[in-house]
Amino acid sequence: MALIRWNPARESSNLPSELWNIERDFNRLFEGFFRGGMQDDGSFGLSVWSPAVDIAEKENEYVVKAELPGVNKEDVKITLESNILTIRGEKRQEKDVKEDDYRRMERMYGSFQRSFTLPTTVKSDSIDASYKDGILTVTMPKAEEAKPKHIEVKVK
Amino acid sequence: MTKNNNSALIRRDNNSLARRIDPTEKRVTPAADVFETPEAFVLRVDMPGVDRDSIRVTADSARLEISGKAGTLHADTANVLFTEIVKKSYYRVFNLTSGLAADRVEAEFENGVLIVVIPKSEQRKTKTIPIR
Repeated sequence: MALIRWNPARESSNLPSELWNIERDFNRLFEGFFRGGMQDDGSFGLSVWSPAVDIAEKENEYVVKAELPGVNKEDVKITLESNILTIRGEKRQEKDVKEDDYRRMERMYGSFQRSFTLPTTVKSDSIDASYKDGILTVTMPKAEEAKPKHIEVKVK
Repeated sequence: MTKNNNSALIRRDNNSLARRIDPTEKRVTPAADVFETPEAFVLRVDMPGVDRDSIRVTADSARLEISGKAGTLHADTANVLFTEIVKKSYYRVFNLTSGLAADRVEAEFENGVLIVVIPKSEQRKTKTIPIR
């Protein structure tokens, strides 16, 4: 049986989004080919698979969310180094199952790493991370000088 | 004042229309691992970020259907800088072979993984035959 890369886009019947997906999947293909390759901060990461990540900015904080289904909290490491946030870890295969007993293996396992350069400085000592239903949420309050300041302009 | 009220009404209407159709929601086939034990088939399906209440697992003698909706990730007030996680609707059908007890299927959702256990009927169970 030939091994083909699992492609969720194949299932969707929506034509415009499928074209957009092709570009995204192309990027993912190259990502996996170079085994992690260049991260956003310019460093090379060693990873087998890449979790999908969203970054949102609120007025006083950044919120980073990563899709990490079936990962133990102990296997996730979050580090912040001069404005570069790195989320790395390992998704382990369940030990209770023998390899012979698998009939189908589609889920990705192994080490992962994503790094992001944040636009402004954050308070490194008040970073909060939580994991629920397979989503890791990292909340980083902005440093005082990075918060938006409301300047009142008086019209003469 | 009246002008502001009108635009707010229009905005609200547009939002409700979008919510009903929601072209941003994408149907995705979740990745699944399947393994066999002497008593059952076990499925582990990656469905991160799914609302527990939206998960539906239905089974009959021929097929097992799994679905779930991954809800909104960000607050409305947040400015999304970078996005890879699309709002999606997970859906997958597994065809079941004979000798599986669809009425005794069990499912649990943990850490974003849906674990479904499909027990085998008595005849299908693996029996170790002792050698006299």
